Amino acid sequence: MILIPDDAVERLLESCASIGAACEAAGISSWEVFANQGYGHSLDFEAGRISMASGGGDGGFGLRVVEDGRYGYAHLVDPRGAARAISEAIGIARRSPSIPGFELPASEESKSVGGMLDKRILDIGPEDLLNQGDQVLARVTELDSRAVAVGGGIGVGATAGAILTSNGIEDGGIFSSHGIGVHISIDEDDQLTSSYEGDSSRKLLEDPLSSVDKAIHWSQVTRDKVPGGETEDCPVLMTSDGFAPLFSMVVPTAVKGERMVRGESLWAGMLGQQVLAPHLSLVDDRRMEGGTSSGSRDGEGVPTTTRTLVDSGRLLDQIWSTRDAAQQVAEGRIDSAASTGSASRGGHTSPPGCGCGDMILSSSDRVMSRDGLIEEMGEGYVIHSVMGAHTANPTSGDFSVTTSTILRVEGGQVVGALSQAGFSGNMAKALNGRVILGNQRAKQGSYSSGSMHVPDVLLMDGLRVNPA
Amino acid sequence: MVVSTNPAGNVMESTGRLLDVDRITRSLDLATSLGATYAEIRLVSETTNSASLKDGKLERAIPGQEIGVTLRVLADGAWGVHSTSDISSISDQIESTTRLARAVAARHSSSSDAIALAEVPIIQDEMHWRSVKDVRDTDLDTRIEMMTAIDAEAKDDERIVATSTGWLDEHIQTELLTSEGMDRVWSFQRSLINGMVTAREGSDVVSYRMRNGGEGGLEVIEKADLGAMGREARLSAIRLLSAERAPSGKMPLVADRDLTGVYIHEALGHPCEADLVQAGDSCLEGKLGQKIGSDMVTVVDDPTMRGGYGCYPIDDEGVDTREKRLIVNGVLTEYLNHRETAHKFSLDPNGGARAQDGLHHPLVRMSNTVIKGGTHNDLDELIEDIEHGIYACGSRGGQVDTGRGSFQFAAQEAWLIENGSITRPVKDVSVSGMTLQILKDVDGLTKDSRLAAPGFCGKGQTVPVGDGGPLMRIREALVG
Repeated sequence: MILIPDDAVERLLESCASIGAACEAAGISSWEVFANQGYGHSLDFEAGRISMASGGGDGGFGLRVVEDGRYGYAHLVDPRGAARAISEAIGIARRSPSIPGFELPASEESKSVGGMLDKRILDIGPEDLLNQGDQVLARVTELDSRAVAVGGGIGVGATAGAILTSNGIEDGGIFSSHGIGVHISIDEDDQLTSSYEGDSSRKLLEDPLSSVDKAIHWSQVTRDKVPGGETEDCPVLMTSDGFAPLFSMVVPTAVKGERMVRGESLWAGMLGQQVLAPHLSLVDDRRMEGGTSSGSRDGEGVPTTTRTLVDSGRLLDQIWSTRDAAQQVAEGRIDSAASTGSASRGGHTSPPGCGCGDMILSSSDRVMSRDGLIEEMGEGYVIHSVMGAHTANPTSGDFSVTTSTILRVEGGQVVGALSQAGFSGNMAKALNGRVILGNQRAKQGSYSSGSMHVPDVLLMDGLRVNPA
Repeated sequence: MVVSTNPAGNVMESTGRLLDVDRITRSLDLATSLGATYAEIRLVSETTNSASLKDGKLERAIPGQEIGVTLRVLADGAWGVHSTSDISSISDQIESTTRLARAVAARHSSSSDAIALAEVPIIQDEMHWRSVKDVRDTDLDTRIEMMTAIDAEAKDDERIVATSTGWLDEHIQTELLTSEGMDRVWSFQRSLINGMVTAREGSDVVSYRMRNGGEGGLEVIEKADLGAMGREARLSAIRLLSAERAPSGKMPLVADRDLTGVYIHEALGHPCEADLVQAGDSCLEGKLGQKIGSDMVTVVDDPTMRGGYGCYPIDDEGVDTREKRLIVNGVLTEYLNHRETAHKFSLDPNGGARAQDGLHHPLVRMSNTVIKGGTHNDLDELIEDIEHGIYACGSRGGQVDTGRGSFQFAAQEAWLIENGSITRPVKDVSVSGMTLQILKDVDGLTKDSRLAAPGFCGKGQTVPVGDGGPLMRIREALVG
């Protein structure tokens, strides 16, 4: 293998064991060591060429210790620094509030999830990646001689991960990834249009050039401008590219048990009630084959599950990490709660928190092709991508963003593009109104809140478009 | 080139080297013997402490020490890069990284694609910006006490259902050695405190967040009025519960310091980044020396503005930092650049290279970006002749499409301006526009310009930034 040493997981587990042994020697009986080590190659596009090629690797260890329901955390790069990390972690634990009932998870058997590693990726060297880059740039020129790849890149990576705890959890594995992003612009006749498209997978991407095709398409179709018109409340068809970033800001946050019982979720107090349109369902799948947010165990070693959070529009479930569950029960906000195998980690530098995995939005009602959705809409807009999705308010679901890839629809036909428009509304309310989903489900990137698997979505109510 | 040793009066004692200078020098010599025109090794070690309270109780405290080292090799006019957290292995990557650079160069179709670097003074020195109260001497109890001061005021209303406060302090030391003989070590510190309140009334739920911090140690947080931060966040959240949805359309906008800062960061700062200009992704390409804004608009980006969250003493290519005057009286006068883009555009290097950490290569980035003050005395003067408009405050962040020159930013709270007076609160205000139009539409600035709340900027890599300015009036902005 070129990308990652054959014994990467074994090396990590050995280091975890040495840190664990140091904990025991320091009189700490309850500890968890999480480790990761990533390796990768990538290249950057700029001004229609490959501007840089890079490679490397990084990683480290995160140590969590628990004493009388109190926890402390520290992270380190070199296991030889374990003594300092242990001392810091236990010092913090002793300063932290005790949560009755909080203990590190017990060891439970887990079943593996397939598709986490594509060995073909491990054999991709820098020269192979550069050849992929050549193909991308050739494709751009082939499709539109005016188009230029002004940004983006391609990368492959492999990360070895391991967890070892005093309760007997010992697991590890290698996760591969292959990703592309390409930012295309067409600058002609004093008009610049552009589009950024990307794709990523744990497997070797079957058609990385499809991102180029899509970026060229959107850069072309947005050149045919029509006048903006008046501000209006109207139906909007959001492509999965535009919908996923807004959805990921609002919905995954709303289903966290801790936020629900603390009143911070827009769905607080609504368990059992209708929160989405009656034909919509929402599944948090942490066991999706090849899922970029899936695996056999969660971020603290608990076996993962597939949970239906919303079924036929009704909110049925919420997600928990071990500590959040114990804390909210101890503080009397909920009678009982337990880990749902939903602990996520941002890496070795942060302790596990609660988060979604591979989240799937689906409909039991009719689904339609994109052309069918446009015809159904009649009058309104197609919005492909938005600027400022990160400014959406996860507590209320309100958003107010800007789009430059927006098409006007009249009489069920696209009649042209606006140069720019404001787009606002409330994501939760819109999804609880008249909604029709497209018939193609797409994974639209991984966010800090999980990986979103959503189709194109036609939202009929409660949205405002404000042409520039 | 000038070679100088310890030229600045700001030199403190060394805090110890992590790079083996002799070994690294030999490695860089190897790179040049293999045909590299330039090679550098940059190591960043960070000592960080983060902590947070939830509803006044300690939620997490995380001490950390991270190290990253990046090798950059320029050969045949192209870059090869290798990054790792394993310092000892970096010297072993010289040959493969040089080969990588050459493989990239072999794909370039013309000599105009070849990358070269602007000349800069070759300096060997150490520069350590000392904090009054070193973050490494701050204990957890002090951090908790400071966060509690916000929390106590923030939750003082039964409609506040949740509070959270956070802390981040960092000591950052960088070592840079280059094949040209540069050998610089520098360090500085940053401190940040933040909070968020959630208010609920019936089914209406809103949140409000606040942030304070800057370059320096504990003294930065001690100077802040933490109780007022919590109190203002609470009052803002309560106001938002009853706020109406903002009107949509084109109208006059008055922005507070936070939003003025985000506006100038997004609308002007990013398009001024010369790596985006070079990539063909900036609406300001070819506009140096041209009038792009109203006479009253003067904008600077200044990493030496001590106390700002975007401060740094030396850039990540070893270039001394200085104030950059991006716009003077409406005329675009300077791009932010690094050595590569300075050479490309025949400009003086101005110290704009920043990397997120030791595992990333430098990009052209902003530091502390502010609009200079104008002539209006206060808010009342700015709004007195506005019949129908918006006064928007506090930032929820923004984004820009630098190529198109379109941008968006969102306010935390806002008020209607009606007949020269501030009247009702409104919510969900976002503002969008086109850089080359809206800079011309700035028609009022108050006299007092200063940095606002600290922030973070993402451009593939995340770096801390400061921005701000005076209160600003825009003749016509697209709201909502």
